[in-house]
Amino acid sequence: MTDVDTEKLEPGRTSVDHGIMARLKRSDAWRSAFRHAQTDTPRGRALQSFSNVFLHVYPVKIPNRVLRFRYSLRLGFIAAVLFGILVLTGVYLMFVYTPSVGSAYGDMQNLKTGVGFGQLIRNVHRWAAHLMVLVVALHLVRVFYAGAYKKPREFNWAIGVGLLLLTLAFSFTGYLLPWDQLSYWAVTVGTNLVHYVPLLGGKLQDLLIGGPQVGQTTLLRFYALHVAVLPMLLALMLTVHIWRVRKDGFAVERSTVGTFAEEATERPAAAPAAASMAHAAPELYGGRVRLLGVVDRESLTEAARPVDDTVFTWPHLLVRHVVVALGTAAVVLGLAVSFSAPLRGLANPNVTPEPAKAPWYFAGLQELLSRFDPLVAGILVPAGGVLVLLLLPYIDRNPDTRASHRKVAVTLFSVLLAIAVVLTVVGTFFRGPGWKFIAPWTHSYIEF
Amino acid sequence: MDDPSRRDFLRGGWKIGGALLIGAAAYTGYEALRPLASGAGGAKITVGTTSSFATNTSTYVPAGRMYVVNANDYIFALSQKCPHLGCHVPYCDSSGRFECPCHGSIYDLAGEYIAGPAPRGMDRFEVKFVGDSVVVDTSVLKAGPPRGVKNFLTPPKGPGCIGKA
Repeated sequence: MTDVDTEKLEPGRTSVDHGIMARLKRSDAWRSAFRHAQTDTPRGRALQSFSNVFLHVYPVKIPNRVLRFRYSLRLGFIAAVLFGILVLTGVYLMFVYTPSVGSAYGDMQNLKTGVGFGQLIRNVHRWAAHLMVLVVALHLVRVFYAGAYKKPREFNWAIGVGLLLLTLAFSFTGYLLPWDQLSYWAVTVGTNLVHYVPLLGGKLQDLLIGGPQVGQTTLLRFYALHVAVLPMLLALMLTVHIWRVRKDGFAVERSTVGTFAEEATERPAAAPAAASMAHAAPELYGGRVRLLGVVDRESLTEAARPVDDTVFTWPHLLVRHVVVALGTAAVVLGLAVSFSAPLRGLANPNVTPEPAKAPWYFAGLQELLSRFDPLVAGILVPAGGVLVLLLLPYIDRNPDTRASHRKVAVTLFSVLLAIAVVLTVVGTFFRGPGWKFIAPWTHSYIEF
Repeated sequence: MDDPSRRDFLRGGWKIGGALLIGAAAYTGYEALRPLASGAGGAKITVGTTSSFATNTSTYVPAGRMYVVNANDYIFALSQKCPHLGCHVPYCDSSGRFECPCHGSIYDLAGEYIAGPAPRGMDRFEVKFVGDSVVVDTSVLKAGPPRGVKNFLTPPKGPGCIGKA
């Protein structure tokens, strides 16, 4: 029996494991890729995070409160998971799709009949896209109510608003690609909104659709935007967004005033009397400080030490994230199996279907457009809304994050949110041909 | 004025160079995206003779994506695009009007605004009469008459078409 160098053994082991995997993990080649063994100690966990590019996205330790589900509802993470699903399914779809008006619609039909799991992949892509718009919007709403846009998170809030707009742009450019009646007219209605931009409207619309009407040029540039330009922009902004979330300490402590007062940094006042008396005015204590007692050194250092409520990201947060990611994937798959992505007839520029609806997330806008001047409803209201959202942290200077202490901001936001939701629901479910009011339970004109 | 230092000169040079680079990239992007002349239409189309368009009728001309209408013996070429948000506005035989299925804008036979959210009447292509022929120049599109202009307004012939398809 050979002597065993116990220093080199994994914790908890008394002998060397001679299995194939154990030998592989001890090899130089393995060690060149994975520099630190998986040791279940605080130091081992920290080393794993430091030396792993993927784990490096996370800090080694996080405040305990971040683990609470109700803290963030994990909406930002769910949005990131949905984006991952969209990239994955999008790559599959790119292999079987040609952005040409002559073949795009046929490719969609071929997905259903000629490609194994093709329709399922398309359904997953479609539902993940819808859910991403919804989840990103809910994430914004949650961040507002948590007051998490306040200092020092103002810029990250603005990045987040930019990410919401990018998500909408993603969804809108992807909407055209099937080249059916639904997509053609939804995009026609959507792109005609641009025409109402003062001075530059016509020029901008020309740049967007590349001709007098939605056609081959439009399909090609929407495809290029969808698979190249927007992903690059989103990856760039998402990187900054996540990095800032980490640097800003993940989550605001809502029970305290101001964003800097967080649980982990709160310290009980430690033996203030002696120090303050020593620096007090001489006339107050006669220029002398009398020592009244001696306390144990340990008790002072214990009192001064901050409360450590942090936990290791791995495994505590990562396990939760894996569960949420699996749950998200399950929901998307469930929807994709239950409800197929629609495919109407081939796009026909000479026949407008009744009704021609914009995608659901623009249905509120379409509802507004049916009631007000297009310049007001199509340009001023949405552009004003985006501008207010971007500038919100700089307008709202109240440092308090508690909803009960931000009544004006919360009330205004809630009213505007309610209006947006009502308009979207009415536009999506309660409008029929000629944009006339219909009861959705009698006849539904909604297609996702 | 003091002579700029070497450092200031270089700093300015970098800024100007960067601005030129961004400008060149933006212009290249514009050139790549602007519509090509060949894709913008603009053909002159002979749509028929004056006698082929009976009084108070509408004829769809798919080649020009337009309607040629005879309203009280005035011939117009109306773009099929709704001036509201670009939907194709079909002609409703039963009412004798143009009715947009997207948001419910309604126009009379001459394309003048009657109801709905559209900002004006239907846009018109330029029409020329060459001998007895009616020639539509699709390169010249004029904005439709503003709301309130009702030179050709007649009562609807019958029920509307929206929701009947």
